[in-house]
Amino acid sequence: MAQGLLTTSVGSFPKPAYLLEARNRFAKKQVTAEELAELEKQATREWIDFQEELGIDILVDGEMYRGDMATYFAEKLAGFEISGLVRSYGNRYYRKPVAVGPIQWREPISVEMFKYAQGLTQKPVKGMLTGPYTMMDWSFNEYYADREALAMALAEAIHQEAVELEQAGALYIQIDEPAVSTRPEELELAIKAMAVVTNGLKAHTLTHICYGDFEKIYPRMLDIPVDQIDLELANSNYDLLELFKQNTFTKAIGLGVVDVHRHTMETLEEVKEGIRRTLEVIPAERIYVDPDCGLKTRTVEEAKEKMRIVAEATRQVRAELAR
Amino acid sequence: MHTTAVGNYPKIGNRREEGQQTGAPVAFNPNATSITTATATEIATLPTNLRRAIALFDEGKLTAEQLAEVSSNVTTVVIKEQEAAGLDLVTDGHIRWADDQTYLANGIEGFTVSGLIRYFDSNTYYRQPVASGKLTRKGSILLKDYQYAASVASKPVKVSCDGPYTLARLSQDEFYGGEIKAMALDLAAILNAEARELLDAGCPLVQFDEPSILRNKGDWELFKEVMARLTEGLDQAKLALYTYFGDATGLHGYFDLPFAIFGLDLTPTYGKANWGLINEFPQHKTLAAGIVDARNTKLESAEQVAELIARLPENINRETLYINPNSGLEFLPRERAQEKLANMVKGAKGVQ
Repeated sequence: MAQGLLTTSVGSFPKPAYLLEARNRFAKKQVTAEELAELEKQATREWIDFQEELGIDILVDGEMYRGDMATYFAEKLAGFEISGLVRSYGNRYYRKPVAVGPIQWREPISVEMFKYAQGLTQKPVKGMLTGPYTMMDWSFNEYYADREALAMALAEAIHQEAVELEQAGALYIQIDEPAVSTRPEELELAIKAMAVVTNGLKAHTLTHICYGDFEKIYPRMLDIPVDQIDLELANSNYDLLELFKQNTFTKAIGLGVVDVHRHTMETLEEVKEGIRRTLEVIPAERIYVDPDCGLKTRTVEEAKEKMRIVAEATRQVRAELAR
Repeated sequence: MHTTAVGNYPKIGNRREEGQQTGAPVAFNPNATSITTATATEIATLPTNLRRAIALFDEGKLTAEQLAEVSSNVTTVVIKEQEAAGLDLVTDGHIRWADDQTYLANGIEGFTVSGLIRYFDSNTYYRQPVASGKLTRKGSILLKDYQYAASVASKPVKVSCDGPYTLARLSQDEFYGGEIKAMALDLAAILNAEARELLDAGCPLVQFDEPSILRNKGDWELFKEVMARLTEGLDQAKLALYTYFGDATGLHGYFDLPFAIFGLDLTPTYGKANWGLINEFPQHKTLAAGIVDARNTKLESAEQVAELIARLPENINRETLYINPNSGLEFLPRERAQEKLANMVKGAKGVQ
């Protein structure tokens, strides 16, 4: 068996129908917080079991308890309020965090669910955080003088949460920064803030960045102080590989091989070819194969099928390497 | 001095007292074959009525006509909100628009609408129009909406929409072979016809938004040609050109473009450099100063607004000056949008 080509996923899985219904009823106060928490644990257990069955190497808890990746953390940090509804697109609305005072870490936010999920499996489960740059970019700011001040205050708070996850046994800590690719001119700020978050951590750290204008942030992006950067390769036909040929990708890569925005399934052959092409520029021990992004926008069945393809394609390429 | 909005306005509100206790979404019977005007009006008083109506429409439980009726009611609500805030010139809030690109694209022959894509550097998305054939006019897009808005408004109503260059830049091109100029010129002809129709119908002002030029300043020469085509044969005095999320420095002769009114983003986040640019603002043109931040909930006080207006250089004609947010207000919760407008008006009045 060749070293490397471990399989994982980016973070979210779709919530099963019973959990969606419970969340709706919770909003109408027809379900208690305890009842909802029980169902969240049930759904988490089901996704852990599914990943185990597929033989995934590094697991995620699937984020059954999250609504939005910024609000989830903001709700538990001092200094934040949550806004009224604002539109994301079409008929989709969400609530944004509003910084109204000094941002401070108060209590563990994600640790309990991490411990629960890790307790269900011998495989490592990733600790999942939202990065300071993205938290800042996705929040309204009524308190800090500028974007940098808010991002740096968030970095301190998120660092504390990362330390708590590490102490709880997390071997992998993912700090998502999907917003980094939208403002190339602020990459320096994202790097500076991430340095605070990962300072002194012994866990394998990684960040997920959504697709964007990589020509403007690569190779400088490699200075983000994490061990691994997780990227969407499938939805851009692996065009990033061309950039990696010009400037070596020096970190480990989370290699997104299935497009999470499409209902249709990639073929095994397409995914295997994507992995093989990546192997030409990055060695196997630095490649972690996963879907492009969180799968929460797909149906449960689509998400499972996409994960099956990730697992099977990787297994077959590993076998080729072992020959 | 006049006060106005820029374009879109939050489609749903959050105030409990606006009707949640009336329980209308529950009382509303989705299985009924038609809804009465009374029911539609009742829905329209609900904070999330349009959201609910669109959801029901998507489920096939509401007809297009019924959804249009709810949209009209909400349009009335947001016009009244702008008037209550004290604006001199209002918009229809783009309440019927799924997003600022899709609504136009759906009315233009040659466009299809594709997947979601990020709108500039915001955390909002739009469905990207795809030019799969030559772009031509298939009929009025904006006239009926203007006529409805004008019929319910007590204040004058302006019409705002993407300009041809920005609409081309935000779209995907599968027909023009990457010739942004050819695509934008075809769109300019279409939007020229739209504007002509609106002006003929009595619309006092047609505003074109061109934020994309600020991010593609290398296109300045072709942009000028597109603007010439856009405004051909139209009364310049009734045309406005707005940009936002950046500054218009480096576009040589920007204020010579054939528009009477120029909207500039003067917020600290995006428009710092515009404060220098307006030192050269010509006397015979009208500035629309985007001094209220539509991207952040932080509320500008009336005093702060007044202070910013006072800071505008002396060459700016105070008589004709427009004061408005830097962009459409849809990034904000509706209540905060209205508070911002109200303070903006108070601040502007304090100066007068």
